[in-house]
Amino acid sequence: MKMMRTSLAAVAALLSSIAMPGLSNAAVTVLGWPGGSEETALRAAVEAYNGKAAETDRVELLFFNRDGFFDKLQADMAAGSSAFDINLVATYSIGRYAPYMEPIELGPDAAKVFGESVLKTMQFDGKQYGVPTDLSLHFMYYRKDLIEALMADDAAKAKYAEIAKEHLEKELQPKDPDQWTWEDWAATALYFSKQVNDESPVRYGTVLQMKNLLFNMMVFQSLPRSYGGDWMDAAGNVTIDSEAYRTSLELYKKLYDAGASPRDSLSYEFAETNAAYSAGQAATALQWNAAAADLTNAEKSPAVADVTGVVAPPAGPNGRADHIHGLGLGLNKNAKNKEGAIKFLKWLASEEAALTYARGGGSPALAPEVVAKVASERPDLVKLGEFASRYGYVMTGATSANALSIYELQAKEFTGYWSGQQSLDDALAHTKAGMQDLLKK
Amino acid sequence: MAIVNRAEGRLYFTPLVGFLLLFLGFPAIVNLVYSVSTVNFETLRSPTITGFGNYLSVLGDREFWRSVSFSMRFGIVTALAECLIGLFLAIFLAPLLARRSVLMAPLMLPLMVAPAMVGLMYRLVLHEFAGPVPYYLFEWFGDSPAFLDVNNAFRTLVVVEVLQWTPFAFLLFYMAYVAIPLDVREAAALDGATSFKALWWIELPLMLPTLTIAFFIRFIDGFRVFDNVYALTGSGAGGSTTSLSIYIYHAFFKQGAIGKAVAASVLLFLASLVVLCVLNWLAGLRRR
Amino acid sequence: MLNGLRWIVYAIAVLAMNFPVIVTLVTSFKSARELSTNAGLWINQPTLENYFRVLSDTSRFNIYIYLANSAAAALIGTGLAILLAFPAAYAIARSEAGRRILLPVVVNLRAVPLIIFAIPLYMMYQWLGLLDTQLGLGLILTIVNVPLALVILVNAISDVPAELDEAAKVDGASSLQVMLMIIRPVIRPALVTTFIFGFITAWNEFLFGLMLTTSRAVPMTVGSSFFFAASGGGVQWGTASAVMILGALPPALLGLLMYRQISGSMMAGAVKG
Repeated sequence: MKMMRTSLAAVAALLSSIAMPGLSNAAVTVLGWPGGSEETALRAAVEAYNGKAAETDRVELLFFNRDGFFDKLQADMAAGSSAFDINLVATYSIGRYAPYMEPIELGPDAAKVFGESVLKTMQFDGKQYGVPTDLSLHFMYYRKDLIEALMADDAAKAKYAEIAKEHLEKELQPKDPDQWTWEDWAATALYFSKQVNDESPVRYGTVLQMKNLLFNMMVFQSLPRSYGGDWMDAAGNVTIDSEAYRTSLELYKKLYDAGASPRDSLSYEFAETNAAYSAGQAATALQWNAAAADLTNAEKSPAVADVTGVVAPPAGPNGRADHIHGLGLGLNKNAKNKEGAIKFLKWLASEEAALTYARGGGSPALAPEVVAKVASERPDLVKLGEFASRYGYVMTGATSANALSIYELQAKEFTGYWSGQQSLDDALAHTKAGMQDLLKK
Repeated sequence: MAIVNRAEGRLYFTPLVGFLLLFLGFPAIVNLVYSVSTVNFETLRSPTITGFGNYLSVLGDREFWRSVSFSMRFGIVTALAECLIGLFLAIFLAPLLARRSVLMAPLMLPLMVAPAMVGLMYRLVLHEFAGPVPYYLFEWFGDSPAFLDVNNAFRTLVVVEVLQWTPFAFLLFYMAYVAIPLDVREAAALDGATSFKALWWIELPLMLPTLTIAFFIRFIDGFRVFDNVYALTGSGAGGSTTSLSIYIYHAFFKQGAIGKAVAASVLLFLASLVVLCVLNWLAGLRRR
Repeated sequence: MLNGLRWIVYAIAVLAMNFPVIVTLVTSFKSARELSTNAGLWINQPTLENYFRVLSDTSRFNIYIYLANSAAAALIGTGLAILLAFPAAYAIARSEAGRRILLPVVVNLRAVPLIIFAIPLYMMYQWLGLLDTQLGLGLILTIVNVPLALVILVNAISDVPAELDEAAKVDGASSLQVMLMIIRPVIRPALVTTFIFGFITAWNEFLFGLMLTTSRAVPMTVGSSFFFAASGGGVQWGTASAVMILGALPPALLGLLMYRQISGSMMAGAVKG
């Protein structure tokens, strides 16, 4: 069995030759969110911290991949892993991981740095489970050049009004995007779609992220919210079958069916949306704030970088709304070095750390007095903080233990409606039944 | 006299059986317990045994049957297509390949790419703005279909799977085809059989065991498909591309319904065991 | 004429089946700037920046370690699977024992999404200290590989005329000697095939790599997904493509290298027929 002998020898050789790149003798291990600006920023912060921390308090970073991150984390924590002392939490998963974590006491200064509303994104059952590091919300990206041309052209305005009348049964005139209602946005999206208006300079009026994926539901949520929608009312009844959700789901479907969004939108998520918008063939896109860096970078998006504007999501009858969730770091119940971990977390909640984190490229939501100190370097953080404090919201029940499962459920049922596989009534009935079950637990 | 007697046979089985018992026996027992328990991620170490509720809830779940039907259709369609195309290529290209064996290399390449990566690659290939396929379709025909919408997703996924795994069937068939002894072919030629007749009456029957095995392997792989579908469409709009594996994965990780996920897997295991035993029994009958 | 047709069919088959790889290869040589404006198969300004970034940025993600982990785990997972499956396959093919129960049960492992064993295995690994080790990953990959190895080897041994064994036995050889000295050389092509398929399957495995490793033993498939989110959480197609090409290179090279061996022995076998 020559081949086998050879391969076994190879195994032996490999095993002996690869020095295990074991973690150095750092005392605190932190599991972070890999790949994005969050990682770069955390590295910068940790470098600063290690520069002055005692040998035994030094922090070592650990990153898995994003694909299946929360599934993996769940398996790790449920099995009682002690591979890390500090782990990532997100607003929507805090209820799921709280049983395997320990609450922390951040002290009064934390509220001065982040503000109470931001600290809340890391609370469960009234206890603080993490230090908020990054905040995520959505921007309405739009093409300034296209909107300006539309506003300057009377014939185009007439066409716009005609399309709005025909598809939305409303008398609408083009408006500045910062004044948009969702209907104005819809009319604009229809106007700039080839299938509706063959004179449109671009192929699609917008890019809807409609893949059956929980994160896409977060993007969608702000539309029903601005119509007064919520998951539950004060008495704890599930209100997902409200008029607000009906109107919103119908609007998405109307736009998709009319061809205002790419045909494969039902398989679109973050990456596809970025690619579609940056190709210069879409007039608007409701997309994560994290995309701003790429979409306004002339190297990465030469077709649109110079003509892309950013505003908060459009308004509904109840004003504007922007779905926020925070990412943060909290304490693993099975941590080997709790003392060192708490020391690091407390430092992370200080103003010094938050500013280092912001300068390192992260997106912390900071109190106005604090953000002023980095405003010149990070103007987008000002917008982030402004949108978050003015329009930010978290759905009632969206931090419960089953919040992730609720987003999953909505993703499945809503995409089932959008793709024409079930009626709106059925979709909402299924969602309601499922949510009642999930929120009861 | 059997060449390997009973005692020796047992000896030869021991390493494999021991290994499997060690690595799957414990998890299997844990799983069997879970499947009749109320258990979630918080109670992994202390499940409460509550009877067959998990099995009933799986059997009564519309989505379970939908995923079974998806996997069944996917498995049959892809296995059939892969075997037919593979067989055609193996026989049609045999003269070409016999002379220049290096030509095999490009045909085998798709087998070596991770299915999860292939799924990601197609996200690029089929993207309306970043992918070459829609790019050229727009360039040449001014339009491009929606590859991944509800109506086309199944077809697209089948094509993706077939393009990657046809080489597997092809390789097995080609090996079986060239392994047909030369004198059999010569004898057929002497008898004046046309090449088509020789193929149909002599060569194909000789290849039949390989055909059966290839179909079976490809069917199983298609039936439990996960990586590429998950990377490309996830569970699909409204759950329309949920294969049984994806159903189990979702029940397990996303819903935390561990008992249900495990019960579904046990059912799947039993079902395939029955099918396999029946196949084996049929083969036994034919041999007699 | 027919030969010309054969060439055409061959070319179409190669192009169609390798299309995603070709596109990925092309994409890996495009800059982010070019990608957003040029979706075609032509590269206006070829660049190596994607490869450079992937290969040089080892402080963030060390691709060399991922490659070594994958290689070690896949070799263990394949070598061990063959060592375990070969004697069992011989016994099944020659004694009918195990055909009724062992073979169906093991083959059925292929039909079960092994992910359902993940949680119990995770707990067991934690206890045994196998979490996040190359050996631990290799052992799981062995389970992944055993069913196919067994099917291929049983099939191959069944094809060997039993007279061969009997003759050797008459000459006084033990069944162990028959297995190692007579059967093994004859079914060498099948062993090589098993090895190649096993190695590739093991190398390309994703889910267990994801669940059972954290940092030291992360394999290439999992490690490469680190690169997918190089900024802002989206897929950077250029970088991702370069990683995919690099990650696919080792199994591809092995397959192509080993291929000569297969075809050589295959042809020899056919001639001897």
